[in-house]
Amino acid sequence: MVKKKRIRLIAEMARKIRAYRELKNRPRESEKYALDYDTMTRPHTRKTLPVLAWQDVRRESRLFSLLSGLRMFGVGHLFTRKSWLTEHPEAPSYWQVTKVKVDYTAEKMTKSPLCVLLFSTGKQESEPKEMDKVMYHDWRLVPKHEEEQFKLYNPVPEPPIRYVSYPPLLRAMLLAQRQKDELGSAAEEPTLPLKRDVLLSKEYFRSQEKKRERQEGTAV
Amino acid sequence: MAASVLQRCLGAVKVIHKCGTYSFIDRRCLLSAAYTDTKLWEEREKDHQNLSLMAALMDRIYDRNFPVSSLTISRFVDNISSREEVDQAEYYLYKFRHSPNCWYLRDWTVHSWVRQCLRYGARDKALHTLKNKVQYGMFPDDFTFNLLIDSFIKNEDFKGACSVVEEVMLQESFNLLTTQILSMYALSSYLATKPELSVSEQRTLGAALLICGLKQDNSTGLSAQLLGCALLGKVEMAAGIHAVFRGMPLMWTPGYLGRALAIMERVAATPGDSKLSKDAVDYLEGLLQDLSSALDSKSSSGEDELGGEEEGKKEEDEDDQAEREKLPLYASRFKELSGQLQSGGKVDPSPLQVLVSSLVQQGLASAEGPDMEQYQRKVGEWEAERQQLIRREKEMRERAEEERQARQAAKAAAQ
Repeated sequence: MVKKKRIRLIAEMARKIRAYRELKNRPRESEKYALDYDTMTRPHTRKTLPVLAWQDVRRESRLFSLLSGLRMFGVGHLFTRKSWLTEHPEAPSYWQVTKVKVDYTAEKMTKSPLCVLLFSTGKQESEPKEMDKVMYHDWRLVPKHEEEQFKLYNPVPEPPIRYVSYPPLLRAMLLAQRQKDELGSAAEEPTLPLKRDVLLSKEYFRSQEKKRERQEGTAV
Repeated sequence: MAASVLQRCLGAVKVIHKCGTYSFIDRRCLLSAAYTDTKLWEEREKDHQNLSLMAALMDRIYDRNFPVSSLTISRFVDNISSREEVDQAEYYLYKFRHSPNCWYLRDWTVHSWVRQCLRYGARDKALHTLKNKVQYGMFPDDFTFNLLIDSFIKNEDFKGACSVVEEVMLQESFNLLTTQILSMYALSSYLATKPELSVSEQRTLGAALLICGLKQDNSTGLSAQLLGCALLGKVEMAAGIHAVFRGMPLMWTPGYLGRALAIMERVAATPGDSKLSKDAVDYLEGLLQDLSSALDSKSSSGEDELGGEEEGKKEEDEDDQAEREKLPLYASRFKELSGQLQSGGKVDPSPLQVLVSSLVQQGLASAEGPDMEQYQRKVGEWEAERQQLIRREKEMRERAEEERQARQAAKAAAQ
């Protein structure tokens, strides 16, 4: 009926070679994010930046340019972003650099992602993480003589979480479930906390998936 | 040996005569001869290599895309023996910086590069590599900075000395007292020549004065801070706050003139011996007058060209406009503060340079002692590290040799 599909070995090989070459020749970050400051276009994709960003791009600098002028690529210094300064004016948010990976081929010494400790709105992250949005024209160095004053922060104590009753249908379903499980109506009514205690992020979903996998076992 | 002894005697004589006989000495060196002595550096174990061989070796390694070791480049820099070789070394430093090993450029390599440049009269080369530190990776430590500033001051090249101080400021390495004193001396001497300053020069001088002055807690430091804030405030008024802090370790909150006035207020309030130099206060006064008169004339003629100026006005930030509006406030506050200072006797009539010179006489000699001890210790450490690197290289070579022999023997046996 249907003719048996011909196995095209050479095409397979060509596909693999093309994929390998693409991997080898993928543009470095310095090329990908290079910018012509006069016309505000990227030479790599020949796309122009949005007009609202032009003022920032002209006035601020990228993290690479700040780090390359510092001893040991700025390890131990603090860096803030202008957007954080406007977003959270009271609480200091900054990264502290602990490790730098350098791309030496670029003319202006581009840096690859770094591992840093983050202080965000006054709270410190537990582990060093990779900095993102490194190539944005948004970064500022915190001068050493201002570091202390910058870090000063009196955290306002958060008001306690308020609870609210569930929507009526859901509430009825929960109560019915409870009765079935023979908990009885003596137990407390379930309430919904108004503040989400889990940050929905990539890491959270990945950990949830892993947990589910562990419970169910991987597909056969 | 005799030459260094003679140098020491001359140095001692110069130190004694520093107080009165200002004009008798042609070349004023601030650091004593013992500090700038190259004896300790040259006592290190020499590692004589042929420069052309090393150059050929490095070219081969780069062609094959292997990383050059930091030991190779340090050997190359150590063995420079003429001015042309200084240029060659600069090229190889550039290539090293753009190789995978760029992190490992050793401190002693940078130090010996600066020493060699000074020895062969290539000071401008050293300054050029320092200015392009992104491309050459030159991050000298404090002692090396001191040597460099001192050699510029010795040759009365205050502009060059100020460029070096600017680099020190960008590194924020005003940690040693000697560095602070030397930089203040260079800056004040440069300002005393009353040069025509462009906006960027004003910015760098202001920033250097401010950051250097923050480290000192006496009248010189406070006057320097005041002058620095005044210069930065002038740039801020002219070009906006972003032009001030871009590329500099400075705070981005607008209001540098306000900070200058806060310094004056602090000096007037604290009961102490700290005074402000008169020329700093005068400079601020002149500046405020200039700015207010410029603003007045602009606002009076501004109504005529409203159409064309609207484009330009949109570019100005709200912060900058707020600053300009505060100018008359600043002027009035300055008047009352300067009155307070005068009445409190807190204005020192001597210019900044004289203050700095007195600081030099008092502090420099005593500050040099711990510096030199630390330098000796550091040279010892560098030597130890260098020997360890040499030993490691030898071991690796022997191991590679052995492996090669083993492989050859295996091949011969297989045949």
